[in-house]
Amino acid sequence: MIQTVRVQTVVGKDLRGEEISNDVKTARVYRLEGVNEKEAIILAEKLFSEPINQRYTLNEPILKNASQVIEIAYKPGVMNPEIASITKAADDLRIRLKAADSAFEYGFFGEISKREAKEIIKKLRLFNPLIEQIVATPPKTLLIKGALGKTATIPIRSMGGKELLTLSKDRLFLNLEELKEIQAYFQKEKRDPTDCELETLAQTWSEHCLHKTFKATLIVDGRKKPPLFSRIKEEALKHKKHIVSAFVDNAGVMDFYDDFAINGKVETHNSPSAIEPYGGAMTGVGGVYRDVVATGESAKPIASTDIFCFAPVDMDTKKIPPGSLPPLYLLKNVARGVKDYGNRMGIPTNNGSVHFHKDFRAKPTVIVGAYGILPKRKAKKGRPKTGDVIIVIGGRTGRDGIHGATFSSAEMTEKTITINATAVQIGNAIEEKRMFDAILEARDKNLIRALQDCGAGGFSSAIGEIGEDLGTAVHLEKAPLKYAGLAPWEIWLSESQERMIVVVPKEKLNSFLKICKKYNVESAVLGTFDNDKKLKVFFKDKLACNLDMQFLHHGCPISVLQTTEPKHLRGASSVSTLVKQASSSVRSSEVAGGLLRGGPENENEWIDVLQKIISHGNICSKESIVRRYDHTVQGTNALQPYSGELLDGPNDAAIIRPLLHKPYGMVVSHGLNPILNNIDPYWGSIWAATEGIANYVAVGGNYKDASLINNYIWPFPDEESLWSLDQSVDAVVDFMKTLKIPVISGKDSLSSTYRSGGTVIKIPPVLCMSVFGKIKDVSKTVSADFKKAGSVICVVGAMDFNAMGGSIYFDVQRLLGENIPKVNLKILPTVLETMHHAIQNDSVLACHDISEGGIFTTVFEMCIGGNIGADIQIVERPDFFLFNETAGCFVVEVRDEKTARTLFINVPYTILGKTKKEKIISAKQDKTTLFAADVDKLKQVWQKPMREIFG
Amino acid sequence: MMTKPNVLVLFADGTNTEQESAYAFTLAGGKAEIVHVNQLRNKEKKFSDFQILALPGGFAYGDDIVSGKILAVELTSFFSEEIKKFIDRKDTLVIGICNGFQVLVRTGLLPFRNIGTMDATFTKNDSGLFECRWIKIKQEKSTCVFLKDTHISMDVSVNHGEGKFFASPNIIKKVEDENLVVFRYVDTNGNPTSVYPDNPNGSTNAIAGICDTTGRILGIMPHPEKFNHPTNHPNWRRLQLKKAHGLTIFENMINYVQKA
Repeated sequence: MIQTVRVQTVVGKDLRGEEISNDVKTARVYRLEGVNEKEAIILAEKLFSEPINQRYTLNEPILKNASQVIEIAYKPGVMNPEIASITKAADDLRIRLKAADSAFEYGFFGEISKREAKEIIKKLRLFNPLIEQIVATPPKTLLIKGALGKTATIPIRSMGGKELLTLSKDRLFLNLEELKEIQAYFQKEKRDPTDCELETLAQTWSEHCLHKTFKATLIVDGRKKPPLFSRIKEEALKHKKHIVSAFVDNAGVMDFYDDFAINGKVETHNSPSAIEPYGGAMTGVGGVYRDVVATGESAKPIASTDIFCFAPVDMDTKKIPPGSLPPLYLLKNVARGVKDYGNRMGIPTNNGSVHFHKDFRAKPTVIVGAYGILPKRKAKKGRPKTGDVIIVIGGRTGRDGIHGATFSSAEMTEKTITINATAVQIGNAIEEKRMFDAILEARDKNLIRALQDCGAGGFSSAIGEIGEDLGTAVHLEKAPLKYAGLAPWEIWLSESQERMIVVVPKEKLNSFLKICKKYNVESAVLGTFDNDKKLKVFFKDKLACNLDMQFLHHGCPISVLQTTEPKHLRGASSVSTLVKQASSSVRSSEVAGGLLRGGPENENEWIDVLQKIISHGNICSKESIVRRYDHTVQGTNALQPYSGELLDGPNDAAIIRPLLHKPYGMVVSHGLNPILNNIDPYWGSIWAATEGIANYVAVGGNYKDASLINNYIWPFPDEESLWSLDQSVDAVVDFMKTLKIPVISGKDSLSSTYRSGGTVIKIPPVLCMSVFGKIKDVSKTVSADFKKAGSVICVVGAMDFNAMGGSIYFDVQRLLGENIPKVNLKILPTVLETMHHAIQNDSVLACHDISEGGIFTTVFEMCIGGNIGADIQIVERPDFFLFNETAGCFVVEVRDEKTARTLFINVPYTILGKTKKEKIISAKQDKTTLFAADVDKLKQVWQKPMREIFG
Repeated sequence: MMTKPNVLVLFADGTNTEQESAYAFTLAGGKAEIVHVNQLRNKEKKFSDFQILALPGGFAYGDDIVSGKILAVELTSFFSEEIKKFIDRKDTLVIGICNGFQVLVRTGLLPFRNIGTMDATFTKNDSGLFECRWIKIKQEKSTCVFLKDTHISMDVSVNHGEGKFFASPNIIKKVEDENLVVFRYVDTNGNPTSVYPDNPNGSTNAIAGICDTTGRILGIMPHPEKFNHPTNHPNWRRLQLKKAHGLTIFENMINYVQKA
């Protein structure tokens, strides 16, 4: 029998209930199996409730006078992270639980029907039906039973093309050419494959794992070009100075100081986040941390970044395509997932951004980055040796996330949300944290030969990769399972979170297992390396998979892909059309600020435009989100996301001091602009990369000590999208050439297309350029807040004032434009170097890079930090001058004009004006005042959008 | 030269500020060792070998059920006797920071040394939100034995979702009457405040830190150990800070046990 303990907080706020209404109260429900009433009471009193402000009931309702009680619980089989803790605490109280579960209860008081109560719960999306359910009748048992799954054989040898494609649809996601290659292999082997073998091939050959598009030879406009990946790698390896390891491990590694190295990895987690944003974001964050930890012989994660793109939160729900979730729900829950996972991990989330564009309505872009530190001599994986053992450590294996790799390689359709529900799971940060703690101790005791994280493809991918050279024999029955009933192929492919594969020399096995025990980490020996070049997977004595490593890893046909420049883009960059309307429905009378007349004409029009720009989703303050993330844990911060008089002025990058007893810093920043990328893939990509490095330099970093990580989040590569992808890669290569610094890691995710019936939505292509590097002394860095009144403000860098295409200024007037800002690559290195030297000389009081919203927004944000105002003098067409978004330029505060002249003699610069005590930004052209805007009033407008959502 | 006092920095699944806590004690002149609770359970390590017990911040066991609960249950289940012996010695001090403070209250050690019986608790922040921000705290004249000669008034980081110190009015009165309040959240004028975000969680009487009746056990919600270097402060540039103010507490603890 199950004992049910219910706990209600009776003194103090019921925040969860109040969120719905004052007529709703909530309670927690704990179901306990395998204990008697007396034991349940001990647990209720010692563990589940606290007499100071709570009360409990045993096996009876607690919200007694409620007219309706609705209970929300995880679906059976979905991992509930709380259970491990409950079981542990019960053990400590010497009570043995067979099983347990926890849930929430909502009691509705007043007259309301069950149906109405359920409607409210559904409407407010208080649960996600993919992972949670309204409990109809209390469960009789919490134990999940299941018969042992069997290995099936698939008669692939006799299949025709049509049958092969049917097999592929919704399961393997392979194309006909690839399927035929597999068919030929098994015809040669004179047998049919097992389900386990087919699934292994499908996931190893998936776009997600193999990056087929990036490895294909391209024919662009009739001209043969090397594969995208080779182009990036070839250029990168020309700039080796700081590279420790690039393109070969789970993260790129560059050198740091004193025999240390730092590593970085940036990942996307769009597909799971699109259908279950909370769990999706958690598993995204958890996955990228594992990538950092599974680099070399392991690294300690020290920083992380989160970059999101959504549709505008106020978008009409009717415009959201079927199967896609509303952007507000996505934003809130992705941020909540990052918070709940990242904070528990104790890794500072100290850099990020949020972008909005209507074309993200079908699928969001969720980018997560992580950075780590490790001893340089442990920065490369050891090669497994025959006899080494393969150990799985961390979480147990369940039916979670099966088909994650193949699923995320596929386009999204209206069916995605139902068919691929198993691809969704909830993360358990503590499981991952103790696993990392154990791994890092094992590393320091020299016990680890190599390690691999279980991400997409699970064991199949991790063991398949790590055993590529030797061959392995794996015994799946040894894997600890969450519940019975998994078929061997499911164990093999499961993407249950928080697991890693560690390779340990046999003689060190016991020491390794002892460390696991110390940290409460479950571990099991799965198999060994045996040097027969085959991937052999057993379940007990039955062979479930026996594939040639050579065929598995090199058998996938790599195609030649063709593309030509789409007509509507042809010559786009040379067209000087000033204004192109983004929406055909816009009438010129609706165009605020009178852009079509040549800019705002009076102060009211100016203030109106300023408010629209600074409250734009891409520009408005994200402080309300950032405060939910722990960005000071580890005690290493040297530049926080916000600083200034009232701690609300945003900074450009994160600086941390990873070795507490040393002054050395790591700088982390990023840049992206989906709108510009969409208009002009080449110059949009240059913009993104320049923005990333400008953020890095603005805080004091030397670009020569930086490395790059490039992430391409692109629509499915049809001819048109492949062309823009090719352009973007060329831009990245040219950018490396310009600055002589390398890309050392990256990822592509080419599934940003939504298809349903006749509707095709291409999500805007995103090149996200992350930048990380080192700085010798964190005290030689600057923040963006203006430091005092009476300083001189200047603009440093070559602004491309007439190129306004894709700017926020245009966007708020529902215009798009074609002529996007082109960064002057000839002058960029000098500008960056000049800025770095100026900061190192202690001559710069504050610095902020110019980005979306232009010079005005930059100055405005610096005024917020300083809690002061500024007088600025305009020297060009005023609206273009204030709102142009050329990347690679800076607004700088220096003591006086003489300092500016000395510092910036070799680069383009203009004196913009002066800071002043009065909190007003006044803009003058010649002697005419265009506007005098109140900083505090604008600040409220700037902070409002995210405050309304996040508090 | 005086010997360096041994500091036990307690570690459990989900603890996450053990490194900076150990570092702060090291800078202050202590010999800090991070000890996993399992090492205490299997007797590999003993409380009696240390002079200072530090419970750092984090999310012990995920803060499941409520923050610090599972670790508090573990400590009271296995170590009630040892901890009692430890705190009954005259040369020992205990500090719980953030999650560690929550654990100390849930074990009953704070405020009245009732191991196994809770007198107070922590509830969710009034905002309902996890808060990561720098706020101001100010020290009061209190029973705390190692902060007799200090007048700490500093900016410090808070990072918590369940930081509201809460107890019945009687208990709160007793805590106040016996001068157990060591730190309060204050506004820019230095006055105790209940206004968000200066008071980040709505804590009763703006309580940010308390000690026990002997003044040798301190619980503090903000994180002084995250202010271990001047550049940790978000405004070290504007303020031209040269000192890491978070270290004062650790220095005074070390000084105290060295003299005890």
